[in-house]
Amino acid sequence: MAQTTFDGSSLGVLEALRQLRQQAATYRGIWSWIATVDHKRIGIMYGVTAFLFFLAGGVEALAIRLQLARPGAQVLDQEVYNQMFTMHGTTMIFLVVMPLSAAFFNLIVPLQIGARDVAFPRLNAFSYWTFLMGGLFLYSSIFFGGAPNGGWFGYAPLTEKAFNPGHGIDFWALGLQILGISSLASGFNFIVTILNMRAPGMSLLRMPVFTWMTLVTSFLIIFAMPVLAVGLFQLSFDRLFGANFFNPLKGGTPLLWQHLFWLFGHPEVYILILPAMGIVSEVLPTFARKPLFGYPFVVFSGIAIAFMSFGVWVHHMYTTGLGPVANSAFGVSTILIAVPTGVKIFNWLGTLWGGDIRFKTPLLMALGFITMFVVGGLTGVTHSMVPSDYQQQDTYYVVAHFHQVLFGGAIFALFAGIYYWFPKFTGKLLDEKLGQLHFWLMLIGFNVTFQPMMILGLLGMPRRIQTYPTGMGWDLWNMIATVGAFLIALSVLVFIINVIVTARRGQRAGADPWDGRTLEWSIPSPPPPYNFARIPVVRARDDFWHHKYREDPSGRPVPVVAGGANGHEEEEGHSEHIHMPSPSFFPLIAALGFPIIAYGFVLADYALVAAGVVVLLFGIYGWALEPASE
Amino acid sequence: MCKIRGWSCGERRPTLQVLKSAARYARLLTPLLAVLLLTGCNVAIDTPQNTFAPVGEVARDQRHLFFLAMWPAVVILVLVWGALLYIVVRYRHRPGAPAPKQVHGNQPLEIAWTLAPLALLLGLAGPMIGMIIEQADRPDPAENPLQVRVIGQQWVWRFQYPQYTDSQGRPLEMVGRGTEPAELHLPPNRKIDLAIESIDVIHSFWAPRLGGKVDAIPGRVNHLWLIAEEPGEYGGQCAEFCGLAHADMRMRVIVHDSQESFDAWAREQLARQGQQAAR
Repeated sequence: MAQTTFDGSSLGVLEALRQLRQQAATYRGIWSWIATVDHKRIGIMYGVTAFLFFLAGGVEALAIRLQLARPGAQVLDQEVYNQMFTMHGTTMIFLVVMPLSAAFFNLIVPLQIGARDVAFPRLNAFSYWTFLMGGLFLYSSIFFGGAPNGGWFGYAPLTEKAFNPGHGIDFWALGLQILGISSLASGFNFIVTILNMRAPGMSLLRMPVFTWMTLVTSFLIIFAMPVLAVGLFQLSFDRLFGANFFNPLKGGTPLLWQHLFWLFGHPEVYILILPAMGIVSEVLPTFARKPLFGYPFVVFSGIAIAFMSFGVWVHHMYTTGLGPVANSAFGVSTILIAVPTGVKIFNWLGTLWGGDIRFKTPLLMALGFITMFVVGGLTGVTHSMVPSDYQQQDTYYVVAHFHQVLFGGAIFALFAGIYYWFPKFTGKLLDEKLGQLHFWLMLIGFNVTFQPMMILGLLGMPRRIQTYPTGMGWDLWNMIATVGAFLIALSVLVFIINVIVTARRGQRAGADPWDGRTLEWSIPSPPPPYNFARIPVVRARDDFWHHKYREDPSGRPVPVVAGGANGHEEEEGHSEHIHMPSPSFFPLIAALGFPIIAYGFVLADYALVAAGVVVLLFGIYGWALEPASE
Repeated sequence: MCKIRGWSCGERRPTLQVLKSAARYARLLTPLLAVLLLTGCNVAIDTPQNTFAPVGEVARDQRHLFFLAMWPAVVILVLVWGALLYIVVRYRHRPGAPAPKQVHGNQPLEIAWTLAPLALLLGLAGPMIGMIIEQADRPDPAENPLQVRVIGQQWVWRFQYPQYTDSQGRPLEMVGRGTEPAELHLPPNRKIDLAIESIDVIHSFWAPRLGGKVDAIPGRVNHLWLIAEEPGEYGGQCAEFCGLAHADMRMRVIVHDSQESFDAWAREQLARQGQQAAR
């Protein structure tokens, strides 16, 4: 009896889903977004969601800066302050820079390799929904007694139940676990996509550098995230089931957490920066009208960085007393990772050298990346020097350093990517005047915020302190940094205005507004759902450029007779004959299972865990039985 | 086509305009100038935790190593920024200019700019390893170091002097109370042998003007040696986030004029400790 009811209702659900699915296939209305498996739409959803989290993380940063503007201020109390910096770091890393990079992987990679979608479109949707669920789950901790307050690095034993009895850390550990599942799924997806779905003729060494960096980053993700997962499982077991992985009183080892966290954490730094380097390697050649200088060196230095990034984690732990041998070995490996990074910078300078440089916003942002990232790299060398780092570890000097890399680097490059590819996906060019205003405000604001932090660190100001007494020589620099933070906020406001203005009355962009070099510029803006009416055959690196120009004997480009581009191929294509994967609700349903399971564990309600598992299995089951395209 | 200093005559811009655009990019140099000026000026500033104002050998060596890495870094920064500034001014788009030559790379150049930084960086490794080993060595007992046991706890420091005991054999002890920081009293010009531990979460002992930090980790004892060469009072505080009142976990480092004055303080302190125990 019960059996029949279950079957009956689940059949009803499946039937309803099938009808909604057909409706979603029309590319119209909200359902078509929720069920989409189109990499471009998923990319846009990743981008918009990550940008909203960027605003949240930014507000947290402003709150921190208000608290620190003056000595002895009481804008935020100690508990709220600790939650703020924990959420600021966690948000910016896991909910902003990683998903913004994922947005670009989604939007750009299939177009750059001449594919109609990623290898596993529904898995791609699953990655997005799981990311969204993880982010919302993490932020929902506010309604369960407070956000996580143990820092983005969550050092045990401070994060153990004995010292942190609230739910915050459980939300943090399980939330990151969910986000890790999302990253792993997209990591595997892009590795398979890039290795298997390249257009004919696109050998690995003809791939655009952004696609290369996506591939390298995806490998980093699949090797680094499981290490974090192990650490988080151990922490969750300690907290939820009374295990003793990090409890020294019962023979556990607090330092084990640090080893696991940083063995993940340092590759993570490159997970954040390599996509940015890929973007810059696309923008510079386009706006200098020259191919990337030393392409193989840029690619292989990216690979070298990825390998070396697994061998430098102890530089986060120089002061933990691992002894002179470990410190010397990791000191040297850390010094050496500067070499491939330097190679990239020199090659970017080589790309610009002798070019015909057009100062559009994407290029300005890319130049902002180079100038600020160099500072980040060089300050990195100063604290790779172990005894020098004994002074700088956990001070504002380090805060300045990694913002120089992650904001001065990654965020500038991601904005370069936004300005560069915005017309491809919206058909409209972002306003140049507002774009330049955005750039200069952000560059000035950035320097006013973070250069004083270098001085603060060297004047002995530690990180993560909620307040400080006067008379330390820190007052002025903190005030300046706070002013700078608001300048950055202003620049982001200018960007938002720019997007709104452009949406209302933006200049129409053709298929190829920047005279681009790679395949994404060969198709209309915005691209049709199937991307390429006919799969291109690739004959060269920067293939599209070679459709438009040939080189005269002196090596200067000469336009090929007008219309030589792929334009005419477009009209021959007939979209009816192109079979695209159908939309699906099952990735979303499966993803819904994770937060339910996680709430179950946080609240120690195992019925809820079971319910979440049922939802997850239902999603996977339906997904497996549903034909990929109808 | 004739050329004057790299600009072709036909589209030569008025000098003022070129200077203006150069000035626009020179703005990029402001943070560098700021850092240079301030690191230069701040060297001698007598604030409680200034790492640029060392009062002992360990901190001084660490500052030296920082400069050893910083000055080449500044030179490289100026070169890279200078090159970038030159390139963006020199190769900016000019209407009517011929399309640029499609240069794909230059192998000798690549090898050069891989090996040159490699050599420079490996040059830094020698002094670095030397100093790591030197600073890791614990003081020889023959040097008669002052032993201090440092215990971190949420959110105060506890300093014990096992060489100075009261009548019941308990060591001289200084503890912070609430937001009142603990006092670390030291004799001048004598090696201090610190044993650093924690009874709860991870903390980090840091008195910047004497030297870099070492973490206080539950379940293990870390060692650090320092030396204070100038009498005076300095600051220090926990450098590893340790929970709610992390910011309050401060210390006052008091370096006495002489060993005698330190001994006198220790005797007085022990007497007081004995009285409190008796009560």
